[in-house]
Amino acid sequence: MNQRENFFAMIEGKKPEFIPNMMEVYKMCVFGTGITDSPLQGGLDPLGVNWIVTKEGAIPEPNNFMFEDIADWKDYVKFPNIDSLGIEAAAKIEMADVTPGEQVVNVFSVCGLFERLAAFMGFENALCSLVEDPESCQEFFDAFADYKIACHHRFIDAYQPDMLTYFDDLATANGLFMSPKVYREVIKPAHQRIIEAVTSRGVIFAQHTCGKCEEIVGDYVEMGAKMWSSAQISNDLEGIMEKYKGRLIVEGGWDSSGPVSYNDASTEAVIDEAVRCAKQYGKYGNFILMPVLMNENGNSMLVGDPRLAPMLEAWHGVEKLA
Amino acid sequence: MSKITEVKELVEAGKSKKVGAAVQEALDAGGQPADILQAMVDSMSVVGDKFSAGEIFVPEMLIAAKAMSKGVDVLRPLMAGDNSASLGTCVIGTVAGDLHDIGKNLVSMMIESAGFTMVDLGVDVPAEKFVEAARENDNVTLIACSGLLTTTMPALKEAVATIKASDLSDCKVIVGGAPVTPEFAAEIGADGYAADAGSAAVKAKELVK
Repeated sequence: MNQRENFFAMIEGKKPEFIPNMMEVYKMCVFGTGITDSPLQGGLDPLGVNWIVTKEGAIPEPNNFMFEDIADWKDYVKFPNIDSLGIEAAAKIEMADVTPGEQVVNVFSVCGLFERLAAFMGFENALCSLVEDPESCQEFFDAFADYKIACHHRFIDAYQPDMLTYFDDLATANGLFMSPKVYREVIKPAHQRIIEAVTSRGVIFAQHTCGKCEEIVGDYVEMGAKMWSSAQISNDLEGIMEKYKGRLIVEGGWDSSGPVSYNDASTEAVIDEAVRCAKQYGKYGNFILMPVLMNENGNSMLVGDPRLAPMLEAWHGVEKLA
Repeated sequence: MSKITEVKELVEAGKSKKVGAAVQEALDAGGQPADILQAMVDSMSVVGDKFSAGEIFVPEMLIAAKAMSKGVDVLRPLMAGDNSASLGTCVIGTVAGDLHDIGKNLVSMMIESAGFTMVDLGVDVPAEKFVEAARENDNVTLIACSGLLTTTMPALKEAVATIKASDLSDCKVIVGGAPVTPEFAAEIGADGYAADAGSAAVKAKELVK
């Protein structure tokens, strides 16, 4: 099987031939979301948030928020006309080098519901709003979901992707930002609409959520997500893979906060971590490795790193499933 | 229910719109400002414990801190010049190269709620700036350094080393953040470590007493 065939075997709940490594599976498409959500080179997005590029990725400019009271959101948030954003032209450029049938086309959609609210208000006010004025939050989330859904339809038309990965970090290293109850009452209804709009187009939905979010992974599955990405080891990954075998692919596994993710982690340590992941998680048949290798320039997958090639070579020695 | 107990419950429940009036009522009923303040500090201690235990989440902790802040606003004019309840000044910042501030902000709120005066240096703070701020502010008893990223752990190490090499011998240093472990904190010479904002406040009090 090639990467694509192997991936779809997993999606269909069948046993794959090998454990995929995220570095090899996808054609990752980011130009579209760079236009609609967060400019790749930093600067203002179409909703008025200014993004700062850091070595670890773009973040909203600290302490430069659009409004303080969620009840005022309509006075400040103006959704752009997505016809004018140039999504189709960007997709054409980005897809020019794709060989059909080889890789899985994965369109990214960053800055989901909660992250967008935090981008507008700052984390503190956003989190307080969820419990102090949930009705206004729901109203905002509904409107923002309409925008996201419209963008996703355009992405799907332009890229013809196999999957869409939607990014919304709802958790910290220690647990969810908000209680599961608050997530389900205030955020989930709009989140569900976003997921169903994607899956209704026959596109696989992947949810990217860092941190300890295992309490709501079941919600993701229930809503139709087929993958949870950036699955960190603070969660019970093996329990989740076992429970949702055939229904959910878990992409992650790397100890992203431990010594193997330090700038100066040795090549041997990096290889050992890859082998650990293969041995510990591969047997479930619904695991994709997501290496998180940082160096002084940033994320190695974006900026390059001499440790990647040896890690991949070692991976090829352990990826086969009996 | 006594007026002070009512203040405690309102802070714990995060009722920031009601706390100011409740504090005034407690004062009008003869309550001492220091006692009312201590009641609110005790409430936040409960909030911090519940957060560390996973019983409540960040929003509930934030609105409780907001509520206490509203209560302190009423007490402040009556307590100006009275530092008897203060645990000193805490200088806090996210270390050089790191722009993340939510964790630092939560810790700052909880340490302030515990009785410290806070000096927040913001994010991307060079090591020397922690030392400068400690020298420039009165009664600095604690310096808190935060880092979210594995890539900025060297900056955490440098910050602690710079502080320890300075003349701030009376100052304790506490560190925290997602990649920080008790072992790393000990290795770099920090006096304390905390895994979350709730336990940071507990540790802060412990370090300066």
